[in-house]
Amino acid sequence: MSGAGPPPAIDEATRREIEAFLFFEARLADESRYDEWETLVTDDVHYWVPAEPSDYDPATRLSYVNDNRSRLATRIRQLKTGLRHAQIPPSLMRRLISNVEIFPVEGRGDEYRVESNFVLYELARQATGDLRLWTGRTTHRLRRVDGRLRIAAKRIDLVNASGPIPNLTFLI
Amino acid sequence: MIDYRAAIQPDHVDGELYVDPEVFAEEMTRIFTRSWAFVGHESELAEPGDWVTWRIGREPVIFVRDRDGELHVLANRCSHRGTTLCWAARGHARSFVCTYHGWTFSLAGELKGVPYPGGFHRVKQELGLARPGQLGAYRGFVFANLSGDAPPLERHLGAGGKDLIDRLCDLSPSGRIQIRAGWIGHRIDANWKMLPESDNDGYHLRWVHASMVESAPDTYYEEAVLGAEQSNPSLAVDHGGGHVELDFRPSYTSDGAWLGMSADKAAPYRRALEAAHGPKRAKELLHAGPPHAMIFPNLFLGEMNLAIVEPVAPGASIHHHTAVQLEGVDESFNRRLLRQSEAALGPASFIVPDDAVTAERMQRAFAGAAALRSAGAGGARVDLSRGLEREVVDERSGRRAGHVTDETTNRGFWRRYREVMSQS
Repeated sequence: MSGAGPPPAIDEATRREIEAFLFFEARLADESRYDEWETLVTDDVHYWVPAEPSDYDPATRLSYVNDNRSRLATRIRQLKTGLRHAQIPPSLMRRLISNVEIFPVEGRGDEYRVESNFVLYELARQATGDLRLWTGRTTHRLRRVDGRLRIAAKRIDLVNASGPIPNLTFLI
Repeated sequence: MIDYRAAIQPDHVDGELYVDPEVFAEEMTRIFTRSWAFVGHESELAEPGDWVTWRIGREPVIFVRDRDGELHVLANRCSHRGTTLCWAARGHARSFVCTYHGWTFSLAGELKGVPYPGGFHRVKQELGLARPGQLGAYRGFVFANLSGDAPPLERHLGAGGKDLIDRLCDLSPSGRIQIRAGWIGHRIDANWKMLPESDNDGYHLRWVHASMVESAPDTYYEEAVLGAEQSNPSLAVDHGGGHVELDFRPSYTSDGAWLGMSADKAAPYRRALEAAHGPKRAKELLHAGPPHAMIFPNLFLGEMNLAIVEPVAPGASIHHHTAVQLEGVDESFNRRLLRQSEAALGPASFIVPDDAVTAERMQRAFAGAAALRSAGAGGARVDLSRGLEREVVDERSGRRAGHVTDETTNRGFWRRYREVMSQS
């Protein structure tokens, strides 16, 4: 996680654009719009949900999710088969995103590290019918590609990362 | 009170056994206290002072390596007023100090210090941390029998159980596996028995895991379990003692098919095995691969993964898993095993979440089972008859083998369960 100091001042237009991007991405994920969500990521994306609340090298330990572009493509392909029982029917979700802090990546005018808090309610209607609560902090690395923001990395630090956690088969 | 002998028949099992709180309480006594259960692997405790916390049934324990390097399993409960001593999943300590009144225990569980000793009249030696009646290990796998009245571990594992552990450990050039990738806990709102049943069911792959097969079709499961019924030579095996296996070896058509990586990427591993064991044995090991098996009641040898089944309540369990790492191989090989593990097991993986939701659906379907049974009505039971007629029993060893899609493994689990639960 960040451990960073306060974010630098940033122009309002950029802040609005980044926040709008986060809200849009959240809506696509909430509504299980897999194809549209997938268009938001870069070819070198890293999608990571650590299995511990502290920093570690995901190469050397297990994570809940540790996807490169190809693994992420498989994940989305599986969701789209219509046979992924853990998401039949897809979870109904709404997430709230707040506490957005933007850190321009030094030496790269087209990249931002964006941290935000989230609260996500999931109706796990596949079996238990539980309304599940997920919360944590997301760190996006957003890069401008052909004028549009794209996700080059997304790390989701769950408050309860040390687990146990129930099925996490939607896009978080 | 349930009549376990009546509730468990060779071809079916009463669904009440998944949902009834009395059954669960009885299981904690008979299966997890009076019998052997897996606790951990010695490699998790690399240094003196390393500890991990765990539960044996519902009993919280500390698995620790003391200053002399010896392993202990200790009650995670101060012998004074019962406060939890270690509340993290793992850590490193020189001693255990209770936060309530400052009682101090050595890493071997001896009571060392009591603040304000003037009012303390007990004998310190009698107030060490409680420990299992029996502790045993086989190739680094540590098992405990809390009550101390089970037959020796050797007999619990039997030749079949030991062979399964051997087959995993032998895949390491040094003969030793390492557990150091971290454990992941997957909460499943279903009875604990459904997890070993599903882990060792060779019949469900094409249905429960259809989405995985369709989206990642290059998996070796194609060869091992998904062939047509007539042409697939893989086996469902009951080794006795509740230790059961899906034996994929007969269906592997190439050496190292189970590795799920190209010959090129597996070459350094192959060379390390050859250097350690000679080319002939290395080839045998590469062909056979790791077991896919259950050591009764709570350890799943999931090929290059270990999983532990933790019962929480009749309708709640945790499927803990980690990736097996091999000693004496190149680090990139071990890292590939981690990535394969992430794909297969855990709450966000491509395989086990579909088993989890299936178990959760079963749990709900048996909600009325106890009432039906009490009223003398039937209907809420599990049919386990598949392949009963074509099962082959080895008269000498008692080993039973059926087609990989047969319920030989499930019957083997329940046979042992019935024995343990109906012992006087």
